[in-house]
Amino acid sequence: MTLLAPSALVIAFYVLLVRLLAGYSIPVFRRYGASFVLSSVWNPGSASYGILPALMGTAVTSVLAAAIALPVSLSMVVFLNEYCPSIVARVVASVTTVMGGLPSIVYGLWGALVLPELLRSYVMVPLHKYLGFLPPFSCAPVSGWTFFTAGVLLAIMITPYMFSLVHEAYASVPRKYREALLAISARPYVIAREFIKMLWPAVIGALLLGLGRAAGETIAVSLVVGNVNAVPYCLFLPGQTISSLIANNFPEASSYPLMLNALYAAASVLLVVGMVLNIAGLALMSRWRSITG
Amino acid sequence: MRDALRIVVAVITALIIVGIAAAVASVFGSGIGGGGNSRTLKPATTSSPTYVKMGGATFPAPQYLAWIKSFMREHPSIRVSYELLGSGAGVSRFFDGTLDVAGSDPPLPHDVWVKHEGKVMQVPTLVGAVVVTYNIPGLNHVTLNLSGKVLALIYKGVIKYWDDPRIQELNPAVKLPHHEIFVVFRADASGTQLIFTTFLHKAAPSTWPSTLVGKAPAFPVAGSGRAAGGKGNPGVANLVMSNPYSIGFVEWSYALENNMSIAAIENAAGNFVKPSTESLISAARSAAKHLPRTPLGDFSKDEEYIIYPGGKDAYPLVAWTHLVIRVNYESQAKARAVAALLKWIAEKGELNIIPGYAPVPENVRQLMVEAANNILHAAGS
Repeated sequence: MTLLAPSALVIAFYVLLVRLLAGYSIPVFRRYGASFVLSSVWNPGSASYGILPALMGTAVTSVLAAAIALPVSLSMVVFLNEYCPSIVARVVASVTTVMGGLPSIVYGLWGALVLPELLRSYVMVPLHKYLGFLPPFSCAPVSGWTFFTAGVLLAIMITPYMFSLVHEAYASVPRKYREALLAISARPYVIAREFIKMLWPAVIGALLLGLGRAAGETIAVSLVVGNVNAVPYCLFLPGQTISSLIANNFPEASSYPLMLNALYAAASVLLVVGMVLNIAGLALMSRWRSITG
Repeated sequence: MRDALRIVVAVITALIIVGIAAAVASVFGSGIGGGGNSRTLKPATTSSPTYVKMGGATFPAPQYLAWIKSFMREHPSIRVSYELLGSGAGVSRFFDGTLDVAGSDPPLPHDVWVKHEGKVMQVPTLVGAVVVTYNIPGLNHVTLNLSGKVLALIYKGVIKYWDDPRIQELNPAVKLPHHEIFVVFRADASGTQLIFTTFLHKAAPSTWPSTLVGKAPAFPVAGSGRAAGGKGNPGVANLVMSNPYSIGFVEWSYALENNMSIAAIENAAGNFVKPSTESLISAARSAAKHLPRTPLGDFSKDEEYIIYPGGKDAYPLVAWTHLVIRVNYESQAKARAVAALLKWIAEKGELNIIPGYAPVPENVRQLMVEAANNILHAAGS
């Protein structure tokens, strides 16, 4: 009976959270309906609240972050486990695992100081020059405070965490598989490839958790994303994400009628998107498990 | 052995990272500031001190913190703290009882004042200024002349290049470069932004309509790809300093602290004026006649008269910042402490102003003394 209490507490907490969010958000959805999510106009002075640019900004920066973080963390796992001398591998893995557990704001603050100008001169300008025919790189980077910089910063923030999740799963593969592969003289690359195939649910899980973390970052993102209500039709534009929108406007939200409700509604949209992604991911993982047995 | 090694590595890494984090946080803590910073000194006396909790606007915070430090030295039994929350949050917490005194750049709006009429007082404590700053390689210590109309066109996205004839004609002696202007504004809803947009509206009403006036207006230039919002004054200052050919607006004290270029703005009399203690006082004097005669009065229109005021030497981007005070405090000790603070500011504080602000005119200081007397009277002393 006493074991029921903690679970009940957690459920109660989520119910209260949903109730609070719903309570504040419903007036906004009632008034604006779907246009809250589809409109690009955010003008508190005329009580127009539309979060489409912010929502697209969250999507673009999180996807970019995951697209950078996943290959990097996977490569790191493979390298440390298959190619690196074991002492070095253990030290680097331990250090990175510890870093993955740190509050990512620490990296965020560093990135905010260093990244914008560096990325602009050495990455964005060449990308625009040589790959400018691709839509995401088609606009000339005027300044370093853009969606691209936010995506890269988020990648830096979530990579140690994703590494530690995949690394743990990799290290827990039973020895018999390694022995079997070695028995047929498989090269390290083949061993790694087979292990990753076995671990695919864990990789997807790490990806989703990383995406979730990236979507929730607020202050670090608001320091580099440019804070402009613009649709991300190109990566080199300044913009915003839902989290940075909320972080920027929350302190003074009482100055405008409905602004606080609009911010809570934006948070609810983020919650719903996150839930949908997680449910899809969990469904995917359980399907993989049933296939691989 | 393996486990011991792991533990040692983890502990060393953790210590290194905590050390780096502390170093980064201390660099950033002094730069980015805001959002819940509070400073309180420990009480020096053994008898229980009276605590006065203040908080709110970040605009006057450096001056308030300097005043509080000197005040507490003279009154060791009173401990005052000022939290940097923003005007809106400060006023909300004042009305819900968490703060004793709120600092607010804009005065209480009319409907809020009416609701609390007779129970709340406001006093303008300082005159502050918003400056327009820019970063043009080669021209950074040359003073540019700008007018409200030109600024309105820049922030609307209509004027795109620095060498636009409308800017060039105000600066015939300066060779402006042909480069796109990178426009910086505030990412967060802010009193400084309200002052700037009110000025644009008053100086160029046909270009900058009243729908674009506010703490968080939708700047038309935002969609152009050459604009960005900075978080707080430090964020704007950082963006302007890091992006060449940019323009932005910050509080005067921040521009002075960071040695940024300051533009001369055209005032209502047609003169291009830079901010200085004299030009701020000149603006304040001409606006003081429109203030209510008593701290219990309605101050909601006072910014309209001080922004873009008359006076040939007045700097046009000036604003009052206010303290919002109760008439009735819950204890005699607190009432006496708040009254003492107000009287101290009126008598000594206004004589010791740090760079970036100007004192309020003499007749306005009287409002602080009157407010202090009202508090003491209501507490029965």
